[in-house]
Amino acid sequence: MILIVTEHQDSKFKPITSELIVFAQRLGRDLEQPVTAVVMGSGVGDLAAGLGDRKLDRIITIEDENLAEYNPDGYVAALRQLIEKETPFLVLTGHTTVGYDYLPRLAAGLGRPFIGGSVDYEKQGDRLLLTRQIFNAKMNMRVSLRGEPPYFTTAAPGSFPGDEVETGGTPRVEAFAADMSGVEIRRKVVERGEAERGQVDLSTAPIIVSGGRGLKKKENFSLINDLAEALGGAVGASRPVVDAEWLPREYQIGSSGQTVSPKLYFAIGISGAIQHLVGMQSSRCIVAINKDADAPIFKVAHYGIVDDLFKVVPEITKIVKALNA
Amino acid sequence: MKIISCMRPVPDPASRLVIDENKTWIKDKELTFVASEADNYALEEALRLREKHGGEVVVLSIGLAHAARVLRSGLAMGADRAIHLNDENFAGSDEFATARVIAKAIEKDGGADLLLTGVQSDDLGTGSTGVMAAELLGWPHSTVVIAVDVDSEAASMRVRRELEGGLSETVEMPLPGVLSVQFGINQPRYASLKGIMAAKKKEMKAWTAADIGLAAEEVGEAGARYDVDEVFVPARKSHVEVLEGSPAEAAGKLIEKLRKEAKVL
Repeated sequence: MILIVTEHQDSKFKPITSELIVFAQRLGRDLEQPVTAVVMGSGVGDLAAGLGDRKLDRIITIEDENLAEYNPDGYVAALRQLIEKETPFLVLTGHTTVGYDYLPRLAAGLGRPFIGGSVDYEKQGDRLLLTRQIFNAKMNMRVSLRGEPPYFTTAAPGSFPGDEVETGGTPRVEAFAADMSGVEIRRKVVERGEAERGQVDLSTAPIIVSGGRGLKKKENFSLINDLAEALGGAVGASRPVVDAEWLPREYQIGSSGQTVSPKLYFAIGISGAIQHLVGMQSSRCIVAINKDADAPIFKVAHYGIVDDLFKVVPEITKIVKALNA
Repeated sequence: MKIISCMRPVPDPASRLVIDENKTWIKDKELTFVASEADNYALEEALRLREKHGGEVVVLSIGLAHAARVLRSGLAMGADRAIHLNDENFAGSDEFATARVIAKAIEKDGGADLLLTGVQSDDLGTGSTGVMAAELLGWPHSTVVIAVDVDSEAASMRVRRELEGGLSETVEMPLPGVLSVQFGINQPRYASLKGIMAAKKKEMKAWTAADIGLAAEEVGEAGARYDVDEVFVPARKSHVEVLEGSPAEAAGKLIEKLRKEAKVL
């Protein structure tokens, strides 16, 4: 059995949940394993029922007030009991701030393999191999899992198309009663912080010019500003730029910043870590300018220039200005 | 307060990475190693906590001579002493084998109040080693930490975690604990000349697997939970059109394409 641990917030499944279902449905077909989805929380019955038309074998709810808000102690304790009963082949959840927060802990406690951030899988005979990215997505590493199942993995967001979920199933919905009486919840949520959007809403900008670490220093960001101004576009940034305080956090595009899909996106001096790609890869036209031909940004780009951005960008700005005049 | 801050040696980001003959790792013999970038943020946070609460900061690294060099840089930044896990058998560790060495070394060193790691390493990059070490130590943990506020009297801390989409949550947890520190939590200091000189005199313990009570088959490749089948450069999924020529020529072609072909200008 492949066991998916779904992710939800405010009584809605997060987009990663559909991606997990697609991953599990494909894997389940190849390995001839049924797929079971777990919905954990408090008062999640209606939410779980909402998965009812997905092609799944079963849906298992685990309800407890100690699971009302995500916390690693509660999740690990409840899932450990479920795993003992169900003996799954693979436990799958998202490579998210929830998934990678507890799944390594659960796997280590059971002494079983954990593969973080899987982007693909392969079946060799009856062995399962998982592929994940290494060296900031410059390379992939395919690994085979040692020992007996269960195996554990988190799926990197954006690796499986969430809109290709197979429906037409009639999964049984079951409740699993985890014994949480002896479980100490050591880490408790005391406050939630909202997104700091400030004045910068990039979600509606038709053209975005983003700069990254390749600009080397704050002063050089004027190259980005000049091109954005010439194009009548907005300025964005990758995480290292914001971390170095060249720009305020509200300009950050990526998984921990804004998600954008303009008609034209320039990624300049941005290598293309997965965290950045998930925030911009649905843009209609992506231009990447980077001197490293192996930079992962070229995987999502439509047009690329492999050269020194300090030479190329002023030339682009010059041409755009001439066209405007 | 005793804080242990992990420093993972990784190839200098400017290195050109080439896959080795066995296709199971990169050719790393000739490369220069530095601390994985996120680990510098962890160490800076450790130093700031020590400045506020007193105690000591111990940097810990696993590897051969390159790990010792990385530890010297941590001592130069201001750590008080270093633990060098130095054993050829540590080679080929996965996250679990690494976590086991870290946990055992901490036990051997008499425990700690706080274990800090970077949010993810620049090589394997899954951010799971600290979480696994927490499980092996029996301590609570938090990942993707963007603020730490320790109440040393109450032996507890308030920690802010960064979530997706600009959201965050503040959690309360007891000490001892494990935190993985996010990029940008602070601005890591540079080592001063004085710091570099002082680092030479600071203590650096060197321990083998046997020293921390682990057998050869429990560490490195033997102690890992998975086998590397192949390391490869992923095939490009999209067909990017690379525009060639001098900077001016490439820029001209690009604008032409954006106007006539993509029709976005």
